[in-house]
Amino acid sequence: MSSTASSRVPDVEPRFFTRAQWASFIIPTLILAVLLPVFNAVLPPDHLLHPSTFTLNLYGKYATYAVLALGVDLLWGYLGILSLGQSLFFALGGYAFGMHLLLMIGKDGQYKSDLPDYMVFLGYKALPAHWEPFYSFGFAAFAVMAVPALLAFVFGWLAFRSRIKGVYLSILTQALTYAAALLFFRNDFGFGGNNGFTDFKRVLGADLNSVETRRSLYIASVLLLAGVFLLYRWLTRAKFGHLMQAIRDGENRVLFSGYATARYKLFVFVLVAAITGVAGALYVPQVGIINPSEMTAEKSIEAVVWVAVGGRGTLLGPILGALFVNALKSWATRAAPELWLYFLGGLFVTVVLFLPGGLISLPAKFRSIWAKFRSKAPASDSSAIGH
Amino acid sequence: MLRLLVRLSLSFSLLLAPSLMLRAASGPVSHSPARAQLIAALVAPPAEQAAAIRALVGVEDSAITPALNAWRAGELFLVTLGDGTRAPATLAPAPGAEGQLLALSVDSATPLLDSTSGKPLIFAPKQLKPLDTTAPLRRAIRDVLEVAGVSDPTPSVRRESVERLGQSRKAEHLPLLKARLVIEKVPVVRAALTDAIAFIQLADSDSKVRLAAIASLTEAHSLAAAARFKEQLAATPAPPADEAAAMVAALKKIEAHWQIVNFFGNLFRGLSAGSVLLLIALGLAITFGLMGVINMAHGELMVVGAYATFVVQNIFVSAFGLGSFGFNFYFIAALPVAFAAAAAVGLLMERGVIQFLYKRPLESLLATWGVSLALQQTFRLVFGPANVQINAPSWLQGSAAISDVLFAYNRLFVIGFAALVVLGVWLVLNRTSLGLLVRAVMQNRQMASCIGVKTTHVNMMTFGFGSGLAGLAGACLSQLGNVGPSMGQLHIIDAFMVVVSGGVGNILGTVAASLGIGTVDQLLQPVLGAVMGKILVLFAIILFLQWRPGGLFPTRNRSLD
Repeated sequence: MSSTASSRVPDVEPRFFTRAQWASFIIPTLILAVLLPVFNAVLPPDHLLHPSTFTLNLYGKYATYAVLALGVDLLWGYLGILSLGQSLFFALGGYAFGMHLLLMIGKDGQYKSDLPDYMVFLGYKALPAHWEPFYSFGFAAFAVMAVPALLAFVFGWLAFRSRIKGVYLSILTQALTYAAALLFFRNDFGFGGNNGFTDFKRVLGADLNSVETRRSLYIASVLLLAGVFLLYRWLTRAKFGHLMQAIRDGENRVLFSGYATARYKLFVFVLVAAITGVAGALYVPQVGIINPSEMTAEKSIEAVVWVAVGGRGTLLGPILGALFVNALKSWATRAAPELWLYFLGGLFVTVVLFLPGGLISLPAKFRSIWAKFRSKAPASDSSAIGH
Repeated sequence: MLRLLVRLSLSFSLLLAPSLMLRAASGPVSHSPARAQLIAALVAPPAEQAAAIRALVGVEDSAITPALNAWRAGELFLVTLGDGTRAPATLAPAPGAEGQLLALSVDSATPLLDSTSGKPLIFAPKQLKPLDTTAPLRRAIRDVLEVAGVSDPTPSVRRESVERLGQSRKAEHLPLLKARLVIEKVPVVRAALTDAIAFIQLADSDSKVRLAAIASLTEAHSLAAAARFKEQLAATPAPPADEAAAMVAALKKIEAHWQIVNFFGNLFRGLSAGSVLLLIALGLAITFGLMGVINMAHGELMVVGAYATFVVQNIFVSAFGLGSFGFNFYFIAALPVAFAAAAAVGLLMERGVIQFLYKRPLESLLATWGVSLALQQTFRLVFGPANVQINAPSWLQGSAAISDVLFAYNRLFVIGFAALVVLGVWLVLNRTSLGLLVRAVMQNRQMASCIGVKTTHVNMMTFGFGSGLAGLAGACLSQLGNVGPSMGQLHIIDAFMVVVSGGVGNILGTVAASLGIGTVDQLLQPVLGAVMGKILVLFAIILFLQWRPGGLFPTRNRSLD
């Protein structure tokens, strides 16, 4: 596996960004983060270029998914850890922020109580102590990163210390996710059970249903994606990135060269968990609900599929994959709901078998096929095409 | 014309059928004294009816209960015969071709014949009004029915009604129960009778009788008695000191007994849950442990086995009818079918997808996950999204009790079956040439290939074998729980945990891990609840792997990585 992976990923380039690359990074970012919201605000709704608020909301959701996918890719494509627990970190960030949003409902809930609706329903008399700090936005924002990071640290420290790797690590992360989902499904665990948190009203004093708030959330999601992309780009291009890929391709050699590989792995694992938590926190106000089905192992595997489809070991691939698969999902679940699972399943199998490099490798593949065709084709053919 | 024909043939058949029946029977009506008393009570004038019915208490006859039940349900009618006498009757449940109903006599359930013409009596629906009941009559009927079960021919009915009488705490039932105890032969019913008598005697006026009753109930470890003791100890006119002491001692003894019983019950359930896990994990131990393929569709292969059982069941139902003698054998026939069906799907998977991924285990996880999604959707499309109904054959229903510990037959079967399958797998792997080849290929694929082993062939067979085992697990699981499209997802993570904590590539480890995990899970459940127990076990496994990353029985290997 290691040899095939190394041959697929191009050698690490020393430069962070060339000028052309800067351009191709900044222009789409500006279009997405500035132009679309401006069009949404300024142009009349029936204008050809007017993106509806619904569309922006959808793109915002996809952007948070793309951050999740980038995390999976950094771990899997660059570090060789296939974690099936990333949706858990995503959902934990979502839950931490959801707690804040739930408290911000105030007395506007169904029961007109200071307590969140489900607590009234379950007969709570007072807010549990660990909920108190979540009245503060600052604390909630901290918890959004700290909770997933803490869990990742404890689990990662235990796992990497005893050198659990490969398939075993995948299965363990899956079991962790499964156990956590079971826990959150319980009413007496105190996080709303099955139904999770919903009916959010406002964030930072702004109405969540207003167009402005939705637009701002969308912009924040796109900026988060851009920022995370830059951060990961920098990480992978630095010496640190070389080391990550070295660990992926031959951990023992790196270990014997004197690097404490477990610490590197733990650092990336925790960093990715924290960033994924932020993505989850931005996801929740945009979809308006967080419940335990977001943290199941299936969701994690779906994120892995986005990466596999887009192309792992690249940073653009996961973003493409997240967009492509989710757009396909929105279309297919409406057009042919009973066939969607066949689509998804077929996509898994096809990508794994025929396109290990993902969508991002398609141009290169076509180029090589084209080159082969050109070299094999007789001269008369090429002249006939038009020289 | 046609209508006339039909009417003619109908009246002919109506005439003929009862007369044939009557020839077969010994006489027109069986006039046992009990039945005569019943009929007399039913046609008695309203003022005397209640007393006449009460006189039926303790009379042994199988016709009394249905007749009184029909009366209560408003399905009993009074029919005036040709000679002016009146007879009680029920109506046949199925109407004739023109909706007419045949009157049935209450004592023999055969068609009621007119005393003068000898013809069967036929009525249109709603022509007759059901016999009325009044409050005193209903009370009388209830009293008769209450004790009627005690003399029922079926032991289980007798036992239930005896227990009910005991719970009623009415001293008036004592003579009946005592009389029954003298002639009762079935041990279970005898025990129930003794308990019921003692239970009623707890309220006896004689203190000696009460003490004896307490002792008797203690001996029987009766839970109902324990509740009653608690109630009496808490009551305001506290029982006399010696009785209170006896009750406290009895409570202790009964509770200690049930603690032991529950412990063994849980142990047994744990063993059977472990056996289920073992059945599921054995296939995985081969495909994942030996071959290194992470087959996320293993759960779905199991579901294939369960649905194969469902199909075989339906074939048997249509061939023999539900609950018939032949039907009971469907499960035996389903086992090989389930194995073959799952193995066939597994072989298809191996040829289509997995054979390209032997060197890329992480990617086999993704591809097989995709296959599992497609399979789940196929189940939904073919069998519908809801769970399907699987009826257990009669020999898997019920349970055996050894000193109050219940051993359900289906769970016993699973334990035995799992042991057989383990033995079979061990024999195949260690005592057949196929097993030798399998082990050779799994240890070193290239080396085996070099010395002439057809590795692709062996891979195929091994994967098919592991998949077939999943099918067997599914067939067994269909007897224990629901069968639905997403049933596989419930078990797959548990199964992987079993294989990982048992030590990959090791059958013995899988056995130990699955039985251990199943038992610990079941023992924790009553203390922590079903989900918390499961979560705790999962975390325990994660921690256990810190201590022994290779599992219980790690494979020794000199290679690094």
